[in-house]
Amino acid sequence: MTGAAGAAPPREGDFLDSGRELQRRLVEEYYRGLAEAGGPQRPVAYMLVGGNLTEIVRSFGYEVVFPEIVALNCAIKHRSLENILHAEAMGYGLDVCGYVKNDLGLQDLGGSTPFGRIPRPDLLVCSFSGCYVYVKWWEALAESYGAPMFTYDVPYLREEVPYKEDIQYMVAQLWEFVHQLEKRTGRAFDMEELKRVLRETRRAEEGWARYLRAGRLRPSPIEAYFEAIFYMFPINVLRGTAQAADFYDVVNAEVERRVREGNLPLPEEKVRVLVEGVPPYTNYRTFWDFFRKWGAVSVVATYPKVGGLFDRGFLHDPARPFESIAEYSLGAYVNQSWTLRRKLIQEYLREYSVDAVVIHGIKSCRSFTAGQGDLRDWLIHDQGVPTLYIESDHQDPRYFAPAQIKNRMDAFFESLDQRRTTKAPATEVAA
Amino acid sequence: MSALVAGMDIGSTTAKCVLLEGKEIVGKSLSPVGVDIVKDAEVALELALRDARRERSEAAFIAGTGYGRYKVYFGQLTVTEISCHARGAHFLFPGTRLVLDIGGQDTKAIRVGSSGEVIDFAMNDKCAAGTGRFLEVCANALGFDIGEIGPLSLQARHPLKVTSTCTVFAESEVTSFVSRGKEPKDILAGLHASIVSRSLSLMQRVGIEPEVTFTGGVSRNEGMVLALRRRLGAPVNVSPLSQFMGALGAALAGQARCEGAAA
Repeated sequence: MTGAAGAAPPREGDFLDSGRELQRRLVEEYYRGLAEAGGPQRPVAYMLVGGNLTEIVRSFGYEVVFPEIVALNCAIKHRSLENILHAEAMGYGLDVCGYVKNDLGLQDLGGSTPFGRIPRPDLLVCSFSGCYVYVKWWEALAESYGAPMFTYDVPYLREEVPYKEDIQYMVAQLWEFVHQLEKRTGRAFDMEELKRVLRETRRAEEGWARYLRAGRLRPSPIEAYFEAIFYMFPINVLRGTAQAADFYDVVNAEVERRVREGNLPLPEEKVRVLVEGVPPYTNYRTFWDFFRKWGAVSVVATYPKVGGLFDRGFLHDPARPFESIAEYSLGAYVNQSWTLRRKLIQEYLREYSVDAVVIHGIKSCRSFTAGQGDLRDWLIHDQGVPTLYIESDHQDPRYFAPAQIKNRMDAFFESLDQRRTTKAPATEVAA
Repeated sequence: MSALVAGMDIGSTTAKCVLLEGKEIVGKSLSPVGVDIVKDAEVALELALRDARRERSEAAFIAGTGYGRYKVYFGQLTVTEISCHARGAHFLFPGTRLVLDIGGQDTKAIRVGSSGEVIDFAMNDKCAAGTGRFLEVCANALGFDIGEIGPLSLQARHPLKVTSTCTVFAESEVTSFVSRGKEPKDILAGLHASIVSRSLSLMQRVGIEPEVTFTGGVSRNEGMVLALRRRLGAPVNVSPLSQFMGALGAALAGQARCEGAAA
């Protein structure tokens, strides 16, 4: 028996080609490389994705580890629950962030993951201070490893143009950070090296932005949520390296090929979706299936922008290294007020010809998720866009109830289908 | 002559089947759901056919809904119960703009358009808080059958405040009230009011607009209907077929499919 959605779609990865293959290889090489990192020769800095200072630590020869990304890699490989349960046995409560418990459990169990062993930190850079739980996470790691910790205090961004005082405040912190790194590594700060790294960063950012903007095409040659999440790895983990920049050249060539050959995410793009929120990594493919079944393609998404809103025009500027790093950190998606997040989503709706929005909230993070209910109401009532809000978690599989989530998604897409054919008056849709 | 279409709603506790011919319901059945859902679905269909004095071969189209809809292997269409309740409610009460469906394990508030299409919906989270199961557990804790508690709650003189809608915690709360000598009818009134409060927040989420139609197994409970009417301060449509609304909606979706419209 078939549902109203019709025949089963092709397999999830059918349209993915050289980009996905290269991404897999980069992930493997990265984790393999980490196995020998750590200590004075190749020190390791732990960093958070939002507003990170990758370029500065790279210019001092640090390897960068992003525990959030290690955690999500564990989650997608169905290894997060054992780490989380271990953290809970250590005393972390049910409502503590899944990233934190996944990582702290993993660290306490020896740091061994399905893709290699995660080295101990020589330095902890708390690059996103907007989440107090993250600061505490870093403090726990600092205490556990006896590693020094630098907290980068990033003021919250409430207006589009940042205050110059904020930029000055952050640039002053960056200089303080550089002086600390000079003391710790015994190396003098090399501005030319930082600019070189920033040039690679900028090249990767341009490539990544070009890829994301391909979602504007109709039909979209990219899956801006489920596929883009794979391709976030180079822009977040390898930013500042030639590898990352070259990667997006490969991906963009593939996207052009897809357009030429008609090798698209789905044979028929029935619904163009904007997705907001962190994905349920523990059930990533199941969640993707729930979209594909209805011919729904995510043409734009906000989550892949947590590492930077490069598609909106911001690029690191090697000619203004410190100022542009400060501007980057301030403008991180997670650091923006709801007014700015809403404005961004409103622009996306228009630019990407969006039919519907799916919001995925996570139990773990109230600071990111709080406000998504209001966003849903605003989208339905003020923007007239059908919107579905569902909730589970990005790390903890215990919160993902497949039958219930599927039921909501089926009902949502079914109602879109039905409304298209009954031609419901717009006033009712927007009521 | 219109084709005979079967709509089957396989829920968490009961299977419902409605046989529709044109605009007429010619047969229906209600039977329990156990561990063998496929068999339960077969039984529900057979019972409805018997009720209509029809043969299996006469059913031109079968549509399934409810959590067990994918187990209706012999059907040709699956539709979510959200669309089905909207469609069924609109069929019986064309002025319906909001459906409250309280079933065995979930509660749904559904905003409906003038053609019976779903405009928006909200559901309870993935626990059975404030659902039919909740009432069943609490009825058992008080030693009553589920069918007795509605009328009893209407006799309450000093309704108690039950703070928890969590099924497990509410059961403990009921036990605690009993041990303190409170009257079962007052406890039951509190339980009904707590479900209505929870349902109301779901309804507010999608926007309360008359007419409101109450569906699902819990709509058969007159204590719930009264509590809901009081809180809304407005009439609430309830049909003797309320429990069959999902199955009716599935049959209507099946009919639409037969006629070439979107299910």
